[in-house]
Amino acid sequence: MNRRRFIANILRIAALFGVAPRVVAGQSQEGSRPMSLTEPEAETLSKWCDLLAPGAARAGVARYIDQNASGGFGDSMLLLRYLDSGAMLPFYRGGIAGIEQESQHRFSMGFARLDPQQSAEIVAAAAGSKTEAWTTPDPNFFYFISRSDAVDMVYGTEAGFARLDIPYLAHIAPPKPW
Amino acid sequence: MSDHTHDPVDVVIAGSGIAGGTMAAELAEAGFSVLVLEAGPQRKLSEMISSQIWSRRLRWAGPEVIETGDLVGAANFAMGWGTGGAGLHWYANWYRLHPDDFRVRTLHGKSVDWPISYEDLRPWYDHAQTYFGVSGDAKADQWSPQSQPYPMPPLPISRQSQALKKGFDAVGLSLGPNSLAINSQSYDGRAGCILDGWCDAGCPIGALANPLVLQWPRAFKAGAMLRHNAYVSKITTDPSGKRATGVEYLDADGARHLQPASIVIPACHTIWNARLLLLSATDHHPDGLGNGSGLLGRHFTSHALTTIHGLFPDETEPFRGVTGANTLCLEGYDDKTPAKGAFGSRAWLAAQATKPNDLLGLALARPELYGAALDDYMRRAVRHYGNMTVLCEETSIPENRIELDSRKDRFGLPTAKVTNNLPKDNAARSDLAKAEGLKIFKAAGVSEPWAGQRAPMHMIGGTIMGDDPATSVTNSYGQTHNVENLFLAGASLFPTPGAVNPTATLVALVFRTAKYISDNRAALLR
Repeated sequence: MNRRRFIANILRIAALFGVAPRVVAGQSQEGSRPMSLTEPEAETLSKWCDLLAPGAARAGVARYIDQNASGGFGDSMLLLRYLDSGAMLPFYRGGIAGIEQESQHRFSMGFARLDPQQSAEIVAAAAGSKTEAWTTPDPNFFYFISRSDAVDMVYGTEAGFARLDIPYLAHIAPPKPW
Repeated sequence: MSDHTHDPVDVVIAGSGIAGGTMAAELAEAGFSVLVLEAGPQRKLSEMISSQIWSRRLRWAGPEVIETGDLVGAANFAMGWGTGGAGLHWYANWYRLHPDDFRVRTLHGKSVDWPISYEDLRPWYDHAQTYFGVSGDAKADQWSPQSQPYPMPPLPISRQSQALKKGFDAVGLSLGPNSLAINSQSYDGRAGCILDGWCDAGCPIGALANPLVLQWPRAFKAGAMLRHNAYVSKITTDPSGKRATGVEYLDADGARHLQPASIVIPACHTIWNARLLLLSATDHHPDGLGNGSGLLGRHFTSHALTTIHGLFPDETEPFRGVTGANTLCLEGYDDKTPAKGAFGSRAWLAAQATKPNDLLGLALARPELYGAALDDYMRRAVRHYGNMTVLCEETSIPENRIELDSRKDRFGLPTAKVTNNLPKDNAARSDLAKAEGLKIFKAAGVSEPWAGQRAPMHMIGGTIMGDDPATSVTNSYGQTHNVENLFLAGASLFPTPGAVNPTATLVALVFRTAKYISDNRAALLR
């Protein structure tokens, strides 16, 4: 049992006493390369993913996607590598552009300025394949992939398991979340 | 013109996974000089990090596959990248094909027959289960073909299985322990499983038989060599076209190498075996090596998979156990015509350990949920979720195939294109199974079970074996009909897929072929 790491209780206690580390969107401690996405792109992606899995922005989802979509395909940890061997960064850039396009079409303003109800309407449209202006990449597929990325950050790390109050049970614990 | 020419070897094998690794170990131990070329990087046990995020690095990162048809899946998910190939993230489900699976054409007028029977393969299945270390309960597993007793008792029944068993009992079906190449106790110097549910992230303690702990130590000890980042792009032949002379491969920098060998064995994942033969066309073999029948690439099959999910009243601890399945139901497998218009066997694999994320994780079981609804579901699912998977047989038809596309991959080679359409009566069989699964879940007390979309699992065929060169690519030993020293290893050889995971059969065939090569050493090395 020594090789297993049960961090759930430790993290719960940390959270209880308010000592959990704060992570600013796009500035996770993971990944050291400069961002490939522009700041507005990263903000849109962060907000989008946070609507899919609340907590994703704080966990650094934009940097997670950026770093793993910008490097070598063989090194990527994104679920997208299962489904598409093409260039990853253009896929995400296209999705972000699609979100903005839909936002402008529906509300005549950028996604970052939308209120919660308006933002939710765009997510629902993508999830239900009912976007009006956004056509490529397939909005439903982009929803599927970006939701998975958000889930990775919120529920798929040791901290995520602790949040769900389940033991991590690692043979070899990850040296860092990603 | 090649950039680098290497010293010749007796045997060159493409692919270091379960098929290639086992073949390498067997032939090296038999005294052949063996070199294995692996497309991906070197892997170590220390890279088997318990994380669905980190584990993605073990998946395929080579040239892309174009998938078309109504059974389109995540080919990259199924294939491996680096030492051990898909053997680093396989689930270790260990089943024999049923005797009827070898003669579907004779019995039902569909698919094609194998050139061998279950009895031909039975001793090799027996040998393989000892070699790998298989746990299970042959007595409870009465619907499996006859075999030697499993070397180890089964893994303990999980809480998820206990919850599911109520449903199976209620509908009159038997749910028993699964048979797995996972140690239920220490075996052959490898540890017993600790049931932590990280099988597909790799098992660094070797409780799950993977090539890094099983085949490669044996192969290295016997002198086999392994070269990484070596993507085999062509099999070369002599002027007569009757003998292979070696392979060409590309290294990580794209430089071309020539590796001479007396025996050539592609042991790649199914798609790449067929594609490599297609890429190796010459004047003597204008449609690809081994393609005298015109069937190279054809008779591609898979298993039509449907997952059933639900939240149980009792806690199930879905994060514990093994990723493959804790329990199994093969009752009724031998009935390939369960209803009018429906055809094929089916197998239920139950209670798969499930982590929160990734393709088979809790969150993607309900892809339509997001935001607060997703969070509510996740908090309940981590305690009460249960699942099972049904594999249904796909009839082997020539229209389903692997071929070369006009588009080029990153190496400038024609991309592999796979067409896989599920015949109508197989789809009807799959629908029956789905209804059966939902009924089982309801009988187990799940108020609102749900089913996932039908998807393909396991890639099979494309270089099928047979007695007749006019209707097959190889003989029963995987030896191509028209190039005498060119053999194939892997599930690409299967004429039909049955409805069970292919690895046990694949390995049994490797052992049988290795013996054949050893027995015919002088003729093959000439």
